[in-house]
Amino acid sequence: MTMSNENPFNGSRILLVEDEETLAVGLEYNLSEEGYVVTWVDDGQKAIDCFASQEFDLIILDIMLPYYDGFEVAERIRETSPQMPILILTARTAAKDRVRGLEIGADDYMTKPFHLQELLLRVKGMLKRKTWYQSATQEQPVYRFDDNEVNFENLSCRSGKRTFRLTQREAMVLKYLIEHRGKVVSRQELLENVWDINPEIETRTVDNFIVRLRKYFEPNPSKPTYIKSIRSAGYMFTTPEDG
Amino acid sequence: MKGRHFRIHPVLIFILAQLAWLSLLGIWIYWYVSNYIIFNQVGKRLSPQMIPKSTNVIALVTGLVLLVAILIGMYLIFIYLNRQLNMTKLYDNFIGNVTHELKSPLASIQLYLETLNLRDIPRAKQKEFIELMIKDAHRLKNRIDSILEISGIEQKKVAHTYGVYTADAIIRTLIGESVDQFKLPAKAVRIEGKAPCPCVVDRDALKIVFDNLIDNAMKYSKEPASVTVHLACTPKLVVIRFSDRGIGISPKEQKKVFHKFQRIYDKDIPNVKGTGLGLYWVKEIVKTHGGKISVFSEGRGRGTTFIIELPIYLESKRRYINRLLKITRKHKERQNDDV
Repeated sequence: MTMSNENPFNGSRILLVEDEETLAVGLEYNLSEEGYVVTWVDDGQKAIDCFASQEFDLIILDIMLPYYDGFEVAERIRETSPQMPILILTARTAAKDRVRGLEIGADDYMTKPFHLQELLLRVKGMLKRKTWYQSATQEQPVYRFDDNEVNFENLSCRSGKRTFRLTQREAMVLKYLIEHRGKVVSRQELLENVWDINPEIETRTVDNFIVRLRKYFEPNPSKPTYIKSIRSAGYMFTTPEDG
Repeated sequence: MKGRHFRIHPVLIFILAQLAWLSLLGIWIYWYVSNYIIFNQVGKRLSPQMIPKSTNVIALVTGLVLLVAILIGMYLIFIYLNRQLNMTKLYDNFIGNVTHELKSPLASIQLYLETLNLRDIPRAKQKEFIELMIKDAHRLKNRIDSILEISGIEQKKVAHTYGVYTADAIIRTLIGESVDQFKLPAKAVRIEGKAPCPCVVDRDALKIVFDNLIDNAMKYSKEPASVTVHLACTPKLVVIRFSDRGIGISPKEQKKVFHKFQRIYDKDIPNVKGTGLGLYWVKEIVKTHGGKISVFSEGRGRGTTFIIELPIYLESKRRYINRLLKITRKHKERQNDDV
């Protein structure tokens, strides 16, 4: 069990949106013991209001909530804060719910009942990734290659005349590849650093993200020039300038 | 599937419709071939007046009747499948809701157990967590019981224990127990009127009815919730009017509230969790008492009134009520024999 004095993310502010009081009390206790500052609200409306008026580092969000459900809350938060880490914690196990949650930009999806240690590790992993991403993008928030432009702060992109927005995870994968430009990055490495080792996520997930990124930026996604596949090794980001 | 129209199995309807269709085809082929043979035999000498008109008329009328039969068959199948589809959708919702209702308390219990196992927790805090776990265990038990009981009621397997009570006394007692159970202030539920007439009641089942109605009133009211229970006796019925000042129910939804798995979704009201079985359960219990329940609301924001009518003992539904008492007696005798 992580002790609060060992936690590098001590003092991180977590918004806990959970309408089951008994569960919320237990979660609040455990997160506080880890050194986080927890604000608990019990419906979707309060979550939106609270998020608008206070600063948070991470959100733990239930789906079945009074007034606004978790999906709506996540969408609203994403509109103003594309980088906010959102962990959906719900009893809904259907694949369609999981897909919807991740599609609207949740960074992780856990189902109830859950293991306490796993939850705490995931929270820590998300905060770690957020810190890495923020420090990595602070120096160079906008990255250009050929006719493409990526703004890692607001996640907006331009490829030729086409504009679109990346999800947080897509941006993280791309950022990691760009940071290791010219070097081979294995799928395992991406999983460890962008997903923070998630046993539920297979290496195929990484491939799916690469396919999406190629569709966004490559002139011909089947013959990629920027995100190249390196047989039996992983992926490598290069630009024509790299030769 | 309930209702007179759906007692015949849809597959049978489908087979009959197909038979009707094939018969129609056969008749028309026969009609055409026989006319063709006549024309061939008589050839150019045939005078049009010689063709028997009756065959045409019979074939036409039979054809039309069979076609109508096919259409009705198809229509019934369509309605049946449509209802099944709606039921399946509601059932999917129900499964989702039940999953949530069962997993939430379970998640909470697991969380506290893991917390107690992994952390050094002060004794006072431990006690608090154990109390929360007990609360969740009760919640879980109640939810499992309610799901199993409904199944029992539907299959008529629940052994009801009916007795003759004075309506006024038993209703006041049961409502008092519900108020205590939900830890409501005494003012939250006000009982008016009198019902000094005898009625046959399964005490535990009627408690479930009041628990559900009070719980609903609390959930769907802006605080502080307030419920008025009005009791009265007509010559044949005990009438219980259960009124709250909650958010009300629109006329369209009033028709559906007692349906199985039905839940009302509205942006303006808290997304109150539940299985969609509560009011269905209430209706089934009242029905087994020989009574009926209806709902009335002037619309959104204007409160809701549930009206329960139970037969007065020996004044209404005498045979049915006596049968309930007889079943109870037999059940008790069997229990005594077992002891």
